[in-house]
Amino acid sequence: MSQSASLESDFPSSVDSPASILNTLPDISLPAKGCSPHTQQQIDLLLLALEALELGASEHMLAMARQLGVDTIIKNRVGLWRLRCSNPWRRSYTRDYLSLNQAKALVIIAAYRAKSLMVIIRQLLLAEQQMREKNLPLDNHFRLSEYLERFRAHFRSRMNSRRAKVSAYIASEEELNELALSLLSKLLFCTGARGMQRVWFSLFDGEVA
Amino acid sequence: MNIKRQYSLPNCNLVLEGLEDSDPQNVAILDGKPPMSILINAECHLLKSDRKLSGGSVFLTNLARAVSNYAQEFLSGLPQSDSNSNEYPQVFLAPVAEKNLHRLTLEPNPESGEAKTEVDLSTVELFDLVDALDRFYLDRSTLPQVTLDIKPVSRRYRQPEQPLTERLTPVAIGFTSLAIAAGALFMIPPPEVAPPESPPIAPATETETETETETIPPEEPEAEEAN
Repeated sequence: MSQSASLESDFPSSVDSPASILNTLPDISLPAKGCSPHTQQQIDLLLLALEALELGASEHMLAMARQLGVDTIIKNRVGLWRLRCSNPWRRSYTRDYLSLNQAKALVIIAAYRAKSLMVIIRQLLLAEQQMREKNLPLDNHFRLSEYLERFRAHFRSRMNSRRAKVSAYIASEEELNELALSLLSKLLFCTGARGMQRVWFSLFDGEVA
Repeated sequence: MNIKRQYSLPNCNLVLEGLEDSDPQNVAILDGKPPMSILINAECHLLKSDRKLSGGSVFLTNLARAVSNYAQEFLSGLPQSDSNSNEYPQVFLAPVAEKNLHRLTLEPNPESGEAKTEVDLSTVELFDLVDALDRFYLDRSTLPQVTLDIKPVSRRYRQPEQPLTERLTPVAIGFTSLAIAAGALFMIPPPEVAPPESPPIAPATETETETETETIPPEEPEAEEAN
């Protein structure tokens, strides 16, 4: 608990300008149109995992956007939803490209939300490890099964099942669980001292010249 | 004077011992906190498996580079460009198949005769190790001259979504079926070409062209004058 309390101090109490928090993530040279669909998909899936972790996650994300001063980029629920619809797997895919600042804002929000949920993320990953060591099904752990079930429900209701990859995930509960757990590990890395930068760079692996 | 810096996380303790730099200029930058400028010993204590890895600055650099590269590889799934130094002890990290674990291998100099150390880490332990090293690199008062760069992997190293064999299969099938068809058609004897019989020479006849009589269109009846 002392760790979570100490992390509270990492949150900037007041942000001078929207740009200052965005500068915590380094710029990446992108093509003129913006981020690649793969990056956009990864960002949306991270946010989807956060939604499975807590109820009312989108409200928390908006509150965090206001707190961090990026509410000029993410103005309201619809704005957030439109940015997330840049994920090509979504039913309501808008074919838009995220600009660098929009991508930064979403990743920063995801990282700060992950920091406040660090305890539960660690508990879930430890539970996963214990279940695997004992050769028990993951659903035997109540909190973990709740997270996985919510993630599967969110994924099925929002992703376009006519896409080959999505339909493969929807068809196999096991693969969806694996996806949910790999996203949980990424969220854990977001909570580290340089974790946000690590996750940010990993989004562009294989995308830069 | 010897100083000690410790970075503690639930599963990992990183303890660095070194000599402090008492140069007043450097001390002033850090608000009176003397920086550690020379490393004597680095010790990484993995609490769950109760293993201690220790060494000098080469160990610390190799450990940090291997762990950082592996963490990025774990996050994106793309192998990082391997820039491991040739100096011993070398550090490697690799996933353990079907166990969801990560194996950390410390390989000492083969001439020293020491056995290599292997430790299996869970994802949470790996994260703690990454975070302890990151905290050390972010700490400006400990070895400020060393840095660790992270950068995204170039597009050249991106693995295609479908493996090469899968992408080449349709092409191979196409060529094979073409070859089989060509072979089968080769077996069929070519049709014999019968030379055309020479047609009887027709007598040259002159056809008289009938003189066409020009048909004169009937004259249109004159329009009745309007009354």
